Amino acid sequence: MNLNATLLGQMIAFGLFVWFCWKFVWPPLLAAMEERAEKIEQGLKDSEESAKKILNAEEQSKKMLAEAKKEAKKIMDNAKNQSEKIVEESKNKATEEKDRIVGSAQSEIEKEVVNAKKTLEKDFAASVMSAVKKIVAKEVSMSNYQDTVDKSLDDFRK
Amino acid sequence: MASESSGRTFQEYLEHHLQNLVYGPLPAGHERKLYSKGSDETTKEAYCQSKNLDYDGEKYCKETLTEDGWYLANNKTDVEAMGFWALHIDTMFFSVLLGALFLFVFTRAAQNFSLDKPTKLQLFIEMMIDFINGVVKGTFKAAQNSLIAPMALTIFFWVLLMNVMDLVPVDLIPYPAELLGIPYLKVVPTTDLNLTAALALSVFVLYLFYSIKSKGFVGFIKSISLHPFGPWMLPANLFIEIIDLIAKPLSLALRLYGNLYAGEMIFLLIAGMVSINLTSFMGLGLNLAGITLSLIWAIFHILIVVLQAFIFMMLTVVYMNMAHEKFEQH
Repeated sequence: MNLNATLLGQMIAFGLFVWFCWKFVWPPLLAAMEERAEKIEQGLKDSEESAKKILNAEEQSKKMLAEAKKEAKKIMDNAKNQSEKIVEESKNKATEEKDRIVGSAQSEIEKEVVNAKKTLEKDFAASVMSAVKKIVAKEVSMSNYQDTVDKSLDDFRK
Repeated sequence: MASESSGRTFQEYLEHHLQNLVYGPLPAGHERKLYSKGSDETTKEAYCQSKNLDYDGEKYCKETLTEDGWYLANNKTDVEAMGFWALHIDTMFFSVLLGALFLFVFTRAAQNFSLDKPTKLQLFIEMMIDFINGVVKGTFKAAQNSLIAPMALTIFFWVLLMNVMDLVPVDLIPYPAELLGIPYLKVVPTTDLNLTAALALSVFVLYLFYSIKSKGFVGFIKSISLHPFGPWMLPANLFIEIIDLIAKPLSLALRLYGNLYAGEMIFLLIAGMVSINLTSFMGLGLNLAGITLSLIWAIFHILIVVLQAFIFMMLTVVYMNMAHEKFEQH
């Protein structure tokens, strides 16, 4: 019951305990707890951000996909057009070529025909002449009938 | 329990359990008396002779000191003769032990603190730190002071641990200690007014220090002389404010001491019931009643133990807040 030196001893002990707690217990514990609180906060922020990023990326990819589809369609349309054009062009060319070939063949044929006529003419005249010579030699002199022969040859030419 | 085996009456048993182990100076010429153990006069006399002491023919061995020196007190007369410079060894021992235990556990937790894999102990300590931090932040708003929260933590846990010693059965430690030759042992430091007064006085010193620091000396004098009635009623103000000032440490010390002392006393009274012999029907009934009552009181006492530690801590924070407030003219 009575107060004595224990009072002083206890005051010293109390002071030491409080000092120790003040210097070595409270600050590291509080600092560690605050660090963790910060870490958790940062983590939450990060996850929120990454969720946003994912959303963005999804949108972006959708956009890109749509664009790519558009592009592909354009390319395919182009190709179709191009091929149609090519087919058309080649058709035209082929027709032209055909016309050209046919034309040249025709002119060749005509030339041949003329040539053949000429040759035939020559051959025919010679054979007629030889035949006439033979006949005339038998019947009359050639000189008397030269005009008649020439006249008939002219007719033939026509 | 101990009362019968050591041949004490219940009155003596109570007194024995309420006496601290005191170490202090005794002057030459002081007559020391030691309680003699034994069932009759011859064994008592033999007990005294075994300690080289005279037997007074009734209960005590006697010894007259020939020179000044430091002794363990045998009884109240010794304690009174020692005066102020006596030390309660048991109070000092258990309080420092429990305070060191508290600091050891918390320091370990601080050193092994893991951000990702907290142990259960660490989680408990974090909860406590959070709790104290919340109380201090909610109550201590007058200024910034990094001492207040750790002091609140120290007070709460130290007082709590010392109070918890009250739940240890009353004879569990003192009885074996007595067999080992330690004459007195009070295991609950908060049932010693010296300890509660020391805490309250320390808080009071800090109160005065921070009051003068934040208000200035003149401001502090003004705050106790110009309140609550204004300057023309200065003596009345001074009277009221000084009583108010002194009431702070006094109530702080006596509240904790009274609660725990009363709690310990009730445990002792219940223990007195249990000590009656088991052979009679009546004795058996009293024993059962004693055990039941002891249990009920212990469960109820858990509440008091925590509550008193909390109140002491809370009031300290409140007083510190008052001390940090600036002086305002009303």
